[in-house]
Amino acid sequence: MENKRIIIDGVDKLRLALDRVREAQKTFATYTQEQVDKIFLAAASAANKARIPLAKMAVEETGMGVVEDKVIKNHYASEYIYNAYKNTKTCGVIEEDKEFGIKKIAEPVGVIAAVIPTTNPTSTAIFKILLALKTRNGIIISPHPRAKNCTIEASRIVLEAAVKAGAPEGIVDWIDVPSLEMTNMIMREADIILATGGPGMVKAAYSSGKPAIGVGPGNTPAIIDSSADILLAVNSIIHSKTFDNGMICASEQAAIVLDDIYDKVKDEFKKRGCYFLNEKEIEKVRKTIIINGALNAKIVGQPAHKIAELAGVKVPETTKILIGEVESVELTEEFAHEKLSPVLAMYRAKTFAEALDKAEKLVEDGGYGHTASVYLNVVTEKDKLNQFTERMKTCRILVNTPSSFGGIGDLYNFKLAPSLTLGCGSWGGNSVSDNVGVKHLLNIKTVAERRENMLWFRTPEKVYIKRGCLPVALDELKNVLGKKKVFIVTDTFLYENGFTKVVTDKLDEMGITHTTFYDVAPDPTLDSAKKGASAMHSFRPDCIIALGGGSAMDAAKIMWVLYEHPEADFMDMAMRFADIRKRVYTFPRMGEKAYFIAIPTSAGTGSEVTPFAVITDEKTGIKYPLADYELMPDMAIVDPNLMMEMPKGLTAASGIDAMTHALEAYASMLATDYTDALALKALKIIFEYLPRAYANGANDPDAREKMANASTIAGMAFANAFLGVCHSMAHKLGAFFHLPHGIANALLINEVIKFNATDTPTKMGTFPQYDHPHAIARYAEIADYLGLGGKNEKEKVENLIKKIEDLKEKVGIKKNIKEYGIDEKDFLSKLDEMAEQAFDDQCTGANPRYPLMSEIREMYLKAYHGK
Amino acid sequence: MKAIELEELIAERPAKKVYRSGDMAVKVFNEGYSKADVLNEALNQARVEETGLPIPKILEVTKIDGKWSIVTQFIKGKTLAQLMEENPQKLNEYMNRFVDIQLMMHSKKAPLLNKLRDKMNRKISESGLDATTRYELHTRLESMPKHTKICHGDFNPSNIIVGDDGVDYIIDWSHATQGNASADTARTYLLFCLAGEPGKAEMYLNLFCKKSDTARQYVQQWLPIVAASQLVKGNPQEREFLLRWTNVIDYE
Repeated sequence: MENKRIIIDGVDKLRLALDRVREAQKTFATYTQEQVDKIFLAAASAANKARIPLAKMAVEETGMGVVEDKVIKNHYASEYIYNAYKNTKTCGVIEEDKEFGIKKIAEPVGVIAAVIPTTNPTSTAIFKILLALKTRNGIIISPHPRAKNCTIEASRIVLEAAVKAGAPEGIVDWIDVPSLEMTNMIMREADIILATGGPGMVKAAYSSGKPAIGVGPGNTPAIIDSSADILLAVNSIIHSKTFDNGMICASEQAAIVLDDIYDKVKDEFKKRGCYFLNEKEIEKVRKTIIINGALNAKIVGQPAHKIAELAGVKVPETTKILIGEVESVELTEEFAHEKLSPVLAMYRAKTFAEALDKAEKLVEDGGYGHTASVYLNVVTEKDKLNQFTERMKTCRILVNTPSSFGGIGDLYNFKLAPSLTLGCGSWGGNSVSDNVGVKHLLNIKTVAERRENMLWFRTPEKVYIKRGCLPVALDELKNVLGKKKVFIVTDTFLYENGFTKVVTDKLDEMGITHTTFYDVAPDPTLDSAKKGASAMHSFRPDCIIALGGGSAMDAAKIMWVLYEHPEADFMDMAMRFADIRKRVYTFPRMGEKAYFIAIPTSAGTGSEVTPFAVITDEKTGIKYPLADYELMPDMAIVDPNLMMEMPKGLTAASGIDAMTHALEAYASMLATDYTDALALKALKIIFEYLPRAYANGANDPDAREKMANASTIAGMAFANAFLGVCHSMAHKLGAFFHLPHGIANALLINEVIKFNATDTPTKMGTFPQYDHPHAIARYAEIADYLGLGGKNEKEKVENLIKKIEDLKEKVGIKKNIKEYGIDEKDFLSKLDEMAEQAFDDQCTGANPRYPLMSEIREMYLKAYHGK
Repeated sequence: MKAIELEELIAERPAKKVYRSGDMAVKVFNEGYSKADVLNEALNQARVEETGLPIPKILEVTKIDGKWSIVTQFIKGKTLAQLMEENPQKLNEYMNRFVDIQLMMHSKKAPLLNKLRDKMNRKISESGLDATTRYELHTRLESMPKHTKICHGDFNPSNIIVGDDGVDYIIDWSHATQGNASADTARTYLLFCLAGEPGKAEMYLNLFCKKSDTARQYVQQWLPIVAASQLVKGNPQEREFLLRWTNVIDYE
């Protein structure tokens, strides 16, 4: 195969080679995991077998490093990498979750440009080629001219074994006569760059315009704390620093030793064959290792005695490390630089804090993002370790570990991925901060199938119905629930007219203590709720009974929250959310202090079965709608006897409110079969019985009972399906012009139905269940259920609108907003603000048509003039 | 136009002689000197002239006795080098002035000048260094930030004339390029070192870094590159010094 290769010594041949690798990679991309794993095994085995000859070649060619240590590097690059990834899925579907409809598929990136450094010329080549083969990528190697023969030989050996095991011919190629021009070319042409080398090469990689995984220089400081095991610390550093004559970029460059153990550490270094330079010798070595701030090429990877000789210093030939005791950590101090040789700086630190300062500066000098090391007692000095971890801007923080071996992973810690390319994060100008592995060379496709949201149906655990059920239901307070103190919330009118008597009589009969708070007005205020909560705090009830219309029930819910959770921030609770399941604020758990019973005295709001409450800040006039299932009452008692004496106006307004609840819940994007049934039934009842209840009042107890049920049923529907833009607009119209809530809804509902009932809305709502605009069909279904007739959907919707108009007329609701005495100039001047606020109302999100603010404005205008 | 009379020889270099001719200076290139180089030098100088920097104006490019010549204004005055030698006690003041002039020059742009980077890449290739060192140097150059400031290329005190009119003129624009100012600074530092004046070199670099708020290391990164470019001149007594400066390695 080698004879088929063309020697690549210029850009023209390189271009051909790139085309060849690209072709081979196309074939390789079709290989199965089984085929790939076979090739991976063969390639790793071949590299492993060649570890000694390759190590010898590397040392001979570069004149740097130690053969025996390079054998370890080659061994590591083949065996450890194989072991780490042998079972890793890198082809096709690598992950799948059918339930959630998510699947991850691994695809190769294409052609990798790999730049190989002089310091690890064979092991890095083996490492990168093995990663490429495991991920079905092609790879072009750019060796360093100083080490080209051994890098090429390593590449050739791995390629041959891979091809023999079935890999496409030419899947690996290399530049034979390296030049920066060609290196730049492969970096421009490849799909991804694996650059290892100095900052110059890494910068070139990043500026090539192709995604690059580059690593940069390290300048590893090693702090030896007073609590350290000195024997272990010193010998680890020696072991690491002498490895391959200091040519691993994670290798220690400076030891920072705490004052109280400094002498002991120094003695241990001496005892183990390290040489401490005297002042004159330090100066000589300084001038030898660094020239004009740059590392002298002659010292890289040389043994200590040879570097000493170059500097004119005489040391024993067996010297392991030259140590310079220096003070400055600034770059003007040569010893503070990375030295890529067995030359070590040693600093004395009075305190651990000073040691941290020094280490931080050394990292900043030239090792941002790389590696930092500390020796201490991890049991007793957790705090120091935390400080160290926090302060070091390095992506690897090694504890009691020789950093050369520690940084590359899987040797002194078995969860740190083995790698010869160590990401330095954004601190080092890198795109990755972990040890580079197969995952960085794959494109992972995520296949996401459409799924629908889980929905739910939630309602109070107990709902008691039928005329006269109230005293019976209250029996439970004593017999089942064992309650002792009841706090009743109601409004002034109901209190003064004896509506609470039926409750208090029953409580007295059962011997349950109670108190009544009745300072609640329509549109209840935060101030009133706070007063009620304060009364609760002194009374300490274990049960709250809300008796009244929407205002009393809403006010009681807020008091309940303030009573149970005085620490909770009201503004947080009122924060708008897009999806109740993803809201930022976690609503506090309710019911720990008091059981909540809601008893409606009007047929409309449905608040007794909903998780909503609206409260007004009396200082600003702003209404805060609260919504969370925690606000759901524990028990609802729907006793029509309490509703018999409702005045006509209230009967009409609250009855129409219930109708719009049912209409909006049915059209909502969150509607389910459960809520549909409730909404339809509620509508049927309302159209039939509201005119009767309105006309006959207390004389028609059947109509009252039907309306009581319809209101609660509609409440259950919208408690789960939510509402729509009619309520959004009604909330703001009511707030701006003090129209009763039910009336505001009545004036707007038909405009909203017309707005929603189109198959071509400007924008439809966003919800997975809502797959196409079909509000018109939904309204037509309502018309059918009500038996309104019509040839097609359009006619049916028209009939529905007419039916609603008829009902409104029957219960005395006026034709338009204007007729309620709202001045046109005043209305127009507030219109824009009102439209914007309505758009932002919590109810808008469930509407099947996503309204533009201009469209809301238009609906308001139409409703103002009516027909 | 009347013939130019070469009155007084003011400077002599291996490839050219400079004469005074009234209020003109005439640079006469030896026979066989590249026409393109002569025209390029004149063009460089004309481009710099357009920036408004105080430099002798090009008056004419002509042939005198068959030799290409560039005719410019003659500036009356002493060079900063002469002044430094004559008044050593004022060295500090002169060096400040020298750095200020260079910084002022670096603040100008001449977008049509040749690029320093191209020139340095060429010089590294021609340096005669071994392939490994050239690769390292090319890589180093590639990674340096690309700027477009006017770089003189031979900025030293003998190329500053303190004019009798009180203006400091920068002369000899044959090496001008546009690029990273720190390369120009590194070059000046090298020239001081090669002239056997390490004290002045340090003084200069410290002042430059202080006044321009530049890190010393940033200028130093250019030293191996400017040293390699100087090798092209093939001066044997400089060789060992320059080789030491070029034989460095990027950190890994």
